Amino acid sequence: MELINSLADVPETELFTGGHGGCRGCGAALAVRQAMKALGPRTIITIPASCMATIGGSGLSTAWEIPFYHSLFECAPAVASGIRAALDIQGIKDVNVVSWAGDAGTADIGFQSLTGAAERQENIIHVCYDNETYMNTGGQAGSITPYLAVTPDTPGGKPTPRKDMLAIMAAHHPAYLATASVAYPLDLIQKFQKAGEIQGFRYIHILAPCFKGWGIREDQTVQLARLAVECGLWQLYEEIDGRRRVTVIPERRIPVREYLRLQGRFKTMDEAAIAALQAEVDRRFQEVQS
Amino acid sequence: MRQLLNGNEAAAHAARLARVEVLASYPITPAAPVMEKITQFIAEGSLKCNFVRVESDHSALAAALGATMAGARSFLITNSQGLAYMSEVLYHVSGLRQPVVMAVVNRALAAPHSRFPEHGDVVAQEACGWVQLFCENNQEVLDSLLQAFRLGEDERVRLPVMVNYEGYIQSHTRETVDLPEQEAVANFLPLVRRPVLDVNNPLAVNTVTGPELYIDYKYQQDAALQRAGEVLQEVSTAYAGLTGRDWGGPVTGYRLEDAAIVLVAMGSLVSTARIAVDALRAVGEKAGLLKVRLFRPFPAAAVRESLRAAEAVVALDKNIVYGAGGALARELRAGLYGLATMPVYSYILGLGGRDVGVEDLTSIYRQVREQLGAGTTPAPYQWYGL
Repeated sequence: MELINSLADVPETELFTGGHGGCRGCGAALAVRQAMKALGPRTIITIPASCMATIGGSGLSTAWEIPFYHSLFECAPAVASGIRAALDIQGIKDVNVVSWAGDAGTADIGFQSLTGAAERQENIIHVCYDNETYMNTGGQAGSITPYLAVTPDTPGGKPTPRKDMLAIMAAHHPAYLATASVAYPLDLIQKFQKAGEIQGFRYIHILAPCFKGWGIREDQTVQLARLAVECGLWQLYEEIDGRRRVTVIPERRIPVREYLRLQGRFKTMDEAAIAALQAEVDRRFQEVQS
Repeated sequence: MRQLLNGNEAAAHAARLARVEVLASYPITPAAPVMEKITQFIAEGSLKCNFVRVESDHSALAAALGATMAGARSFLITNSQGLAYMSEVLYHVSGLRQPVVMAVVNRALAAPHSRFPEHGDVVAQEACGWVQLFCENNQEVLDSLLQAFRLGEDERVRLPVMVNYEGYIQSHTRETVDLPEQEAVANFLPLVRRPVLDVNNPLAVNTVTGPELYIDYKYQQDAALQRAGEVLQEVSTAYAGLTGRDWGGPVTGYRLEDAAIVLVAMGSLVSTARIAVDALRAVGEKAGLLKVRLFRPFPAAAVRESLRAAEAVVALDKNIVYGAGGALARELRAGLYGLATMPVYSYILGLGGRDVGVEDLTSIYRQVREQLGAGTTPAPYQWYGL
């Protein structure tokens, strides 16, 4: 497989086209657009209840150029499993089957069907586009919302830490597992290219900021996604057969404070909490990069 | 070929004969043996089918839906809590007009917990837009399932179908079942692919729909469900041409010609009621029976036609809609509305597996005859056999 190595080589064809209903600066729309460059037209996608399920179409209009099904919240990986079973029995082998969910459709309400599909080693790609809140309903906290983040239902800051979804998914021993970020499109596209080539269960977790939920300006989506990587909170790597390879080593390491202080949602974090998070990030950074 | 089969085995053979391509099911008592039998067919090579070993009933129906949308013939089995758990997916399947076929092995809903039969599980899903068929014996389970695929896949219908039979009374009780030849079934049930999710013809499915379109979709869906009643009659006739067995369309009458008091039932009670009617006729009573095979769409016109000459109707409900009574009684009263003074007596019985025998039904008949003679207004509903 020849990986796309420069933005100039990215296919111009848009499979998630202009005219969608996402906000300006929507991280989720960026993630889909980038991923579709690698997945290509022979892809069937199912997206459960989420912003992403609604912004690609309304009434009789759609921005999708591939078959798209807006599934129920709990079951996108199960729907994808059924689609794969149907294609297999018809001898259709060259189609990517993708379930694409937000953090809730992946880690919370959708977790049961996800763990089921992962355990069965279904030949599908599950993507989590993670904006760290239930943004489609106004930004309430979920299980992978960060510790102390202010949301409409955790106005004093979320009292519990973010669940380690990547560790949970790694424990399923997927054929391919990767993290990605909308601020690193080449890295993201290459990971989808690789995932598309591999058979078996594949899991890609994309940090895709939501300016509204994060309390940032709409032109800061990519900037914050990049700062998350540069501060070490969001590390970019992939695992094939359980062997980890870091794909992006930040050129400069910044303190997490710089990342946190740009966002409205961490306004209640005091210096002690930031210091504790810094220590945790440093420990985790060492662990992943070594 | 005749074999001694329980209801679950009959259902599994129906799936094999229908050449289902994707089975997505989660084990639940007393339906699980259907899944085991089909996976055995797959393992021994008598059925080419992909089994999706899902982690829940919710995912089972989601996977069956995905498979059908991608162009495969899909089947699954559930009941009771599993059916309740599927509830929101049931609406997706019917709203998307996907001809998934599901065997429902009726079982009471908790609480209190019960593993035994009644129709409460499927009655709770009365509004979900699926065709709902009831079977009185294991032969009908096999035959109705084969008919269900043809009915659901018919261009005029394009809807999912539930085929109901009762836990243990049918699922675990053996009867002689005649299995049609595979070739004959293939002619009756050709495989026609109509994928909705197709990379060669990409569509966006289930986009957000506003008030300017939603109600129109719902009108079309309801019209299709109504058509299913008419198409069922055709399908039954075609099936009779194949096997000689005609289960009729939505309803079937028994000794109705001069019947004064007509028992109305669904499922296994029909067989019991038939014997009760014979027993009552033997002692000079003008008893009759109306078997309701199709609960959704409810065949109100056929029911009116069948009951036109009766003096009174007795609804035998193996379900309770709390605070409202029996579902069948309610449908009958609505369907008969305007037919002069036809009284409908409503009995709730057999819930959670409480046995109902021939003598119970003849006893109910006599109670009704006395009430009718006394000219008392029927109670909204009454419980029997407490």
